[in-house]
Amino acid sequence: MLIKIAWRNIWRSRTRSLVVIGSIVIGVWAVIALISFSSGMVTTFINNSIKNELSHIQIHNAGFLKERGVKFSIDKNADLFEKIKNDPNVLAASQRTVNTGMISSAKGARGLMIVGVDPETEDELTGLSDNIKEGDYFNPKKRNPILISKKMAEKLQVKVRQKVVLTFQNKQNDIATGAFRIAGFFSTGNTNFDGFRVYTRRSDINRLMGEENIAHQIAVSLKDPKTLLASQTAIQEMNPSLSVQTYKEVSPEINLFESQIAISAGIFTFIVMLALIFGIINTMLMAVLERYRELGMLMSVGMKKGQIFLMIMLETIMLGMVAAPFGLLFGYATVKWLSKRGIDLSAYSDGLQQFGMSEKIYPDLSPEYYGMLAVAVAITSILASIYPALKAIRLKPVEAIRQL
Amino acid sequence: MSVIIAKGIKKVYNPKTIPVHALNGVDFSIEKGEFTAIVGPSGSGKTTLLNIIGGLDNPSEGYIEVGGQDISKLSDNELIEFRKNNIGFVFQAYNLIPVMTAKENVEFVMLLQKRSQEERDARVDELMEAVGISDKKDKRPSQLSGGQQQRVAVARALAPKPHFILADEPTANLDSKSTSNLLDIMANLNKKENMTFVFSTHDQRVIDRARRVITIDDGRVVSDEVR
Repeated sequence: MLIKIAWRNIWRSRTRSLVVIGSIVIGVWAVIALISFSSGMVTTFINNSIKNELSHIQIHNAGFLKERGVKFSIDKNADLFEKIKNDPNVLAASQRTVNTGMISSAKGARGLMIVGVDPETEDELTGLSDNIKEGDYFNPKKRNPILISKKMAEKLQVKVRQKVVLTFQNKQNDIATGAFRIAGFFSTGNTNFDGFRVYTRRSDINRLMGEENIAHQIAVSLKDPKTLLASQTAIQEMNPSLSVQTYKEVSPEINLFESQIAISAGIFTFIVMLALIFGIINTMLMAVLERYRELGMLMSVGMKKGQIFLMIMLETIMLGMVAAPFGLLFGYATVKWLSKRGIDLSAYSDGLQQFGMSEKIYPDLSPEYYGMLAVAVAITSILASIYPALKAIRLKPVEAIRQL
Repeated sequence: MSVIIAKGIKKVYNPKTIPVHALNGVDFSIEKGEFTAIVGPSGSGKTTLLNIIGGLDNPSEGYIEVGGQDISKLSDNELIEFRKNNIGFVFQAYNLIPVMTAKENVEFVMLLQKRSQEERDARVDELMEAVGISDKKDKRPSQLSGGQQQRVAVARALAPKPHFILADEPTANLDSKSTSNLLDIMANLNKKENMTFVFSTHDQRVIDRARRVITIDDGRVVSDEVR
């Protein structure tokens, strides 16, 4: 009986109820849109970081992580690399020689990280050749080719095909130098990352360092990121003395970004639901005050206060329950559409690239969040119903009926 | 046997600010099955008295016994339960539930009493037939005339078979024909179901049909006439 009365009461003032339902629908949709955008932004950043810089797993000599010295190369790196390549969970892997040093041209010099890569495996792993914006990827016929970022080229005032000199430490802790010719300019979309690294062939930098086959780092990407921990363990068992880190361990801020999605989702939801609570309270209070005499009559003929309280609560909860599915549906449809199309932020690309963000954001939202939002609307409706319901049961029937 | 006993009933509104003395010591008793009109000019206290009898309001002083129970001592929830099981109200402004049909309004109190579907259906059919609106069962109050709405209100009051029907100016918004019809219906039901009817009214047409007329003025009983 109460459900029937409550449902019909909602539609007594159709316009008012539709306004409340509309505001809940828009609120829910806005939360989904905002969170999916911020989640998409963070996910894009994380994916870019994994693709261009971190990979899923990195393997180092444990000493390299402490001192960054060039002498801390990976023991039997070629054997280990072969084993890793043959792991069924591994999508791609690449060996790198990592050194710090200085790059100089006729017009300037800069400190940087020199990354010696095997062009083919590196391209499989990071798609480095796709990031070449001017010039070419490594040409096997050319001697000492180097890839530098556009930003660094501007600082050094150099062009493609011009020469630069790298100065770095060799295995004997002596200073070594080598002349390199710029093959191309790369851009990963993260200017901070690009601005302090250059790519050479591993064979070239190793030769100049006096060690032919060394590698300081093996980067691994997985077919399925869910096998991250299992793969980490498996690789660690291949050589227990090495440091085998997941991208979350290499870059703890990734964890922070991931947890930030959940935190910001919670905050957005809380703020929007808080605003909705006051909107719903206002409407339900109007509905109660307008029906003061009728509520008095219901008490006069024997309806208990608890039943009145429940009736007002049901009306409020029903408003939320009618609105929530529409909001969730519109939100889901919006996310689906934008996740395919993407949001083009190229107008702000300079700023975004400072933070390693892409020009195009693909909103995404995990399915469980929709369920969480439905629960949030239910809780909001229940909370919003309490005050109007209390107001309703505090009335004195005789005073209410007298309001003619 | 007296089923309503009022002794020294006083009611003062706003006792601490600007006291308004609505009732100044009212004494009377009403027997079972009476068809009584409480009459008097506007502001004489008749609605206040009816509200006190119905447990909607408490007297400031005095003793009120309804159906053998001192209702001034009941809590709010006990009063609601008492009204549900003993009293049927008919209000001047009908006060039907606008979102319910005529049938649903009539069976509403029986639903609160958790009566069975069969019992409710039978009683609704019987009463709607008796008040002459059996063809309006599925109409909402807004689709009914004033007279028809008041008939629904009377049927709703009678449906749970209460011991008392308290009607506050039930004909105030009705034309002569509707008033006459409604009074016929209530008089018949009074005879048939032996319920005790108490009206507050200053409508001469109601006064003429009452078998007892208690006149109050300025919060006091000034005459009590049994016909």
